[in-house]
Amino acid sequence: MDISYYGLLYALLLLLIPIAIFIQLRLKLIKQLSISFSRMIVQLAIIGLWLQFLLDQDQIALTLIWVAVMLSNAVFTLRGRLKIKRKILLPILFAALGASTLVIMPWILFVVIRPEPLLSAKFVIPIYGMVLGNSMNSCALALERFESNLSDNWKAYYTRLSLGASLWEAALPTFRKAIHASLLPQLLTIASMGVVSLPGMMTGQILGGSSALVAIKYQMMVMAAIFSAVTLADFLAIRLYLARRFDKYYLPLAGIK
Amino acid sequence: MSDFLHIKISRLFYQDKHLVSDIDLEVQKGERILIVGATGTGKSSLLNTLNLMNQNYNGEILFESKAITQYHPHVLRSRIVMVMQEPWLGEGTVQDVLDEALAYHAIKHKDLSDRDRQIRGLMKSFQLSEDYLSKKADQLSGGEKQRIALIRVLQLRPEILLLDEISSALDQKTSGIISDCIFQNFPGTVIAISHDPLWHDRWQRSWIISDGIIKDNREAK
Repeated sequence: MDISYYGLLYALLLLLIPIAIFIQLRLKLIKQLSISFSRMIVQLAIIGLWLQFLLDQDQIALTLIWVAVMLSNAVFTLRGRLKIKRKILLPILFAALGASTLVIMPWILFVVIRPEPLLSAKFVIPIYGMVLGNSMNSCALALERFESNLSDNWKAYYTRLSLGASLWEAALPTFRKAIHASLLPQLLTIASMGVVSLPGMMTGQILGGSSALVAIKYQMMVMAAIFSAVTLADFLAIRLYLARRFDKYYLPLAGIK
Repeated sequence: MSDFLHIKISRLFYQDKHLVSDIDLEVQKGERILIVGATGTGKSSLLNTLNLMNQNYNGEILFESKAITQYHPHVLRSRIVMVMQEPWLGEGTVQDVLDEALAYHAIKHKDLSDRDRQIRGLMKSFQLSEDYLSKKADQLSGGEKQRIALIRVLQLRPEILLLDEISSALDQKTSGIISDCIFQNFPGTVIAISHDPLWHDRWQRSWIISDGIIKDNREAK
């Protein structure tokens, strides 16, 4: 069922509650609230119109271009968010996010859903968005963890080197910790799914008129896609970063801000 | 004519600072060498060049007539092994600590058939009972940690042992035990930095660094 524009306006009236509370507490968040909601409305309106256009056109070239835009957007957002500043980061992030989605998306489209046409915008864009968004967040966490763990444990790293460890052997404990820190919360979320919370996509599908049974199948598929993509992206990002982080004698290269 | 280890360094640096010039030293197999000099003269910087931990110099170091930079770093570092001032042992038991070092790639091909006997022998000569193998490494005292760090290295049977002030944080007695043990148990080459006077009278040779030059003193006791 569609929501009328008046209906939407009434929904926004709910914001009077937080505004009243802010006033009562003399909390200076009203300005931020108006900025945040205005931005959201404008951004979503633009993206909604644009997505509707993409879905209506449903042209493969257009969809693929949009996929490339989404990927670049994710890479630059991720790079901006990382505290690690290195020139070599950009190709690494492109490779990590790109490769993981290049593997996961074809499988989902060509083997699992098999829509007509295969690169139907209706399937590609929302699923790719979820996969990419999660990969991006997870990569940020994994890389930050790797770097901070490394800086906290130089002595361990140098000791391993001085005992004859290869670069891989000396960095592996840190690598392992970073991946663990990034993936464990996701596994816990997956384990609580359906009991604690109903995932957003599933809720949306049910509201949009799909049967709950179809919605859970999509949810299961999407979780498998997201978790595989995230693991692959984390692994590739750190693996590639590792190769550029050290010189040929396995000693750290300078250049961190 | 030594082709074991030949250090030819025209200029040695620490970061941008020029420390020592014109180093040309040959080391024979089995020699025991002590590096002496005031703080900041470049003792550690020099020692660290030998296992590829420091590339901040002009010159060349030959190990068995081949430039050390031509070796795979992990292979070289399993033949020329360094023990540091404050040992890092990691988590787990002493046995885990010893096993971890042995698991590294470059050591794997070595003959380990009598390893347990070797470890027991080393523990005994370092005056540690075998019970220590099951103790948590992070609960040991400083002196015990340093002895385990040495056993960890000696079990690898390196050809050259580099010791960077390993007894500076230890009491005289422990320092004495450690130096006795190294001399008794390790037949290979040792190059050590130490400020401990106890150590100074048992080396065949010393390298004295002062005013940016290194003096090779073979008359050491």
